[in-house]
Amino acid sequence: MIDSYRRLMNLQKQPEPRGLKGFFTDTSLCIGCKACEVACKQWNQLPADGYAMTGNSYDNTGALGATTWRHVEFIEQVKQNGNRDQQRWLMMSDVCKHCANAACLEACPTGSLVRTEFGTVYIQQDICNGCGFCVPACPFGVIDRAPRDGQFEAGTAHKCTLCYDRLKDDMTPACAKSCPTASIQFGDVAELQQRARARLGELQARGETSARLYGMPEGREAAEVGPLHAFFLLLDKPAAYNLPEVPRLPRKTMGERYRWSAVVGVGFALVGALVFGRRSR
Amino acid sequence: MSERPGEHGYYDYPVVKRPVWTWEIPVYFWLGGIGSGAFITSSLAQRFGSEEDARSLADGFYIAAAALLPCTPLLIMDLGRADRFHHMLRVFKPLSPMNLGAWTLAMFTPVAIARAAALAADRGLLPRVAPMLTALVPRGLSELAGSLLGITLAGYTGVLLAATNIPIWAKSKLLGGLFTASALASGSAAVSLGATLRSVEDAPLHRLSKIESAVSLAELALVAGYVGQSGRAGRPLTVQRLALPFWLGAVGAGTVLPLLLHRLAATRSGARLRRLSTLASLCALGGSLALRWTVFEAGKESANDQAASFELSS
Repeated sequence: MIDSYRRLMNLQKQPEPRGLKGFFTDTSLCIGCKACEVACKQWNQLPADGYAMTGNSYDNTGALGATTWRHVEFIEQVKQNGNRDQQRWLMMSDVCKHCANAACLEACPTGSLVRTEFGTVYIQQDICNGCGFCVPACPFGVIDRAPRDGQFEAGTAHKCTLCYDRLKDDMTPACAKSCPTASIQFGDVAELQQRARARLGELQARGETSARLYGMPEGREAAEVGPLHAFFLLLDKPAAYNLPEVPRLPRKTMGERYRWSAVVGVGFALVGALVFGRRSR
Repeated sequence: MSERPGEHGYYDYPVVKRPVWTWEIPVYFWLGGIGSGAFITSSLAQRFGSEEDARSLADGFYIAAAALLPCTPLLIMDLGRADRFHHMLRVFKPLSPMNLGAWTLAMFTPVAIARAAALAADRGLLPRVAPMLTALVPRGLSELAGSLLGITLAGYTGVLLAATNIPIWAKSKLLGGLFTASALASGSAAVSLGATLRSVEDAPLHRLSKIESAVSLAELALVAGYVGQSGRAGRPLTVQRLALPFWLGAVGAGTVLPLLLHRLAATRSGARLRRLSTLASLCALGGSLALRWTVFEAGKESANDQAASFELSS
């Protein structure tokens, strides 16, 4: 009985867990070379996004999307005053955060989005029917649906897979492999977190007081979406990198929103019963 | 680094992604709402009304079936891969409003069609299959089941939009309640319209008019609460391009006008009652579409509102 239910509902046995894998992206080491963007596109066979110039520093990528799974940001902080000591150029390679509580995964109505044996969030391309619900659900604006009339996997949702295919073969994801400065580090999440704490201490000891970690279990940003399996060392407040201070998990507030639907429905039934009921048969 | 005034984010880039949905979704919300509201209104008339009410206000079952029929095709059209529409039902995952909605629609549509067929049989329109329908479709049970499915269908749509990170959809607690009220208002208006066309007695129309007034009043209160709670995030809807269709269409024609017309209709009878009632119903139906349309479109603009995104997630 249970077995046939499992078969019917596609609840197959999951693969054996192989430990939590993730990225630690240390933006203090990023030199903005975009090797990660290129390596990602090459390995995952993602098409080019055109040659539009944004005029915003060296960032002509713009945003993460269906065919862009690494995005290097260039933040020029040079205009605020004349003091050259205060001028700096921040770079950051953004990526899917592979949240411990992933909004996209919870939103997915088909079960296409799954948690893999590496603890990463993965879209099964043969299941996704392109309903598009994961797109506005993601608090980071990572996931997107490929255009229906496009050449690339048309009509389904896409984002970083943390190179699931490479992990299966004990290989390092393409972006981390190509990073020349070890700004992108791949490994076991727990070990990376330790490394991040040590690195933060090192930078703070050197006087880099604005350095902070983003996506650690103790951080405010983990309050709803949980620790990020791809987390960051930042040199400014999260908003400077377009990262939300407390990324929201829609499930947390869904109950109270349903409650108002229920209140209105029950109220309507009561009014109807009252108005019709006076002339009851 | 010191705070840079007026410059909080990364250039003016959006924090969240723009929804990819197109016109099919607000039209589906509207039709699904009419279907749910009409079915529930007619069920209430059957269960609690007089024999006159039950007879005159049964058309909601026809309306529900007719409104629900295009819903599934609309939802399939909006998919990125329409050939995989059935993947919606390969898992039961009510935590996802999208999945809950797909299951609800899949169950509600046949119930509404069966109940409409039973009504046709009761009215002597299907003489060949009438005995079979009478035996197969238990009236009371199908009304109860359909009403529960209907309120779920009406109730999940606003929550589905709210269960995202689009500021104008996610900020307020009331979008689910607002869409439910709009569904019930448009559904009861459709039943009233049907009854007017069938030239029924005055009494059922007056009773229905009271119910419509109550739900319009609730909708007005909810829309005020929704705009208030949304605050700055609500600006794409309240002061920008969509302000006119929102205030005049969704709020004015959708709630205020029906309230006034029903108030006038309360003391009228005969042809004047029918005229006022018809007008009120048309306003409520149009306003309901305007509400879904403007809130849906405002979400696309709200996605680009970087400041509202930071405010929502602070």
